[in-house]
Amino acid sequence: MHEPTPTVFVVDDDNAVRNSLRLLLKSVGLASQPLGSAAEFLETYRPSQPGCLVLDVRMPGMSGLELQRELNLRGATIPVIFITGHGDIPMAVEAMQQGAFDFLAKPFRDQELIDRVQRALAKDGTTRAALTERERIRERLESLTPREREVLSLMTQGKPNKIMAHELGVSQRTVEIHRARVMEKSGASSLAQLVRMVMDQEPENAAG
Amino acid sequence: MPNALTPPSAPRPEPGSQSETVPEAPASGPGATLHGRMLQVSRLATIGEMAAGVAHELNQPLTAIANYAQACDRLLARPAANLEDIHTALREIAAQAVRAGDILRRLRSLARSQPMRRERADINAVIEEISDLLTADARAHRGVLTFDLTPALPPISIDSVQLQHVIVNLVRNGLEAQSDAVPGTRELRLTTGLSADGEVEITISDNGPGLSPQALERLFDPFFSTKPEGTGLGLAISNTVVRAHDGSLGHRPNQPCGACFFIRLPPERGV
Repeated sequence: MHEPTPTVFVVDDDNAVRNSLRLLLKSVGLASQPLGSAAEFLETYRPSQPGCLVLDVRMPGMSGLELQRELNLRGATIPVIFITGHGDIPMAVEAMQQGAFDFLAKPFRDQELIDRVQRALAKDGTTRAALTERERIRERLESLTPREREVLSLMTQGKPNKIMAHELGVSQRTVEIHRARVMEKSGASSLAQLVRMVMDQEPENAAG
Repeated sequence: MPNALTPPSAPRPEPGSQSETVPEAPASGPGATLHGRMLQVSRLATIGEMAAGVAHELNQPLTAIANYAQACDRLLARPAANLEDIHTALREIAAQAVRAGDILRRLRSLARSQPMRRERADINAVIEEISDLLTADARAHRGVLTFDLTPALPPISIDSVQLQHVIVNLVRNGLEAQSDAVPGTRELRLTTGLSADGEVEITISDNGPGLSPQALERLFDPFFSTKPEGTGLGLAISNTVVRAHDGSLGHRPNQPCGACFFIRLPPERGV
């Protein structure tokens, strides 16, 4: 699958700050999109777009922290790097508790920002890959017939074929055929891997 | 522009009506010197309080300058440097340095101590000179300040710097009165207009909780403050300054909530 180029979204109400960041990111070959408000970002951003978010804490209207909360509510996984004027330690703590990727005080050394942006983009890539893999497995498990799903459930409970046959009221031979189909369709190479795949589909084990 | 001072839904109380609080004239004599010294103290205190807001505001151009300069450095290190980008960055660096200087210059003009020097002035122009500073201060307090200035008001004879100091002080009071409000609902309005008596009137109204009857009674007393860290000098000094301009400073409840402070100044004589 072809992934679009990662974009660094820069959200700051100060025109000069966001345009200077755009040029700084451009100077190291990173594509960015400067936006003047949290609302503009919410309008523009599509979860399918890989990237990271460089976000000013203090803005009129929706603040950076409020935007972060909104993104969390929507289940967005885009890593957020906060930038702020000094003296905002309580805000920094709150942002990190809400799952911010990192925090930088303005003005900052270019290398500090670039390093963080690159690490955030790498993290976004990992998260996306994990989500894609999970999605792929979900599709495979959904291709199982109702009967195969029953067998899968009993398999992950560690039940032997003989018990399964009894519980399902079919022959052991039939159970063996279903088992083989489950392994084939899921693409799992072992029972252990199959159990892992099923566990990863549980919402509380979701990646990101 | 509609005259914001007489909204049809909330008629303004007549001057001297019960809901308005206007302090008695301060005693003349030695007290006047004390007020002069207090003016100095208060001015420094307000500047100290504003420093935090100004620091944040100065950070913006400084951040932009640092980013542009570092970007230039990196762009120039590339084999085929894009000169257009570098030119843009250099022009922006210069513009941002001027912006930072402007912020400091405005702060300094407020801090300067000098005897009262009255000159003929247009109140709207006086307010526009500090509108960026006020807006920045409001932003630092996560509030929104709107201006509603009535054009073509009669000229007044004032010491602009001193009057600007009073306005900054009243705006800051209004912002701090709303510190418990949800960010985004902190709204402050600054208007100019003509009072029923033909005086030039400046109003600063907030959406805060308003003032208790106890606070109203002592509002203009020196060292009385409703703020934990307040010096209690702001309004007392502001009142002294406005009186020295033959004007009056008062309070009335804002509609539907909050406080409204007004300054009334007589038009320049002989116009």
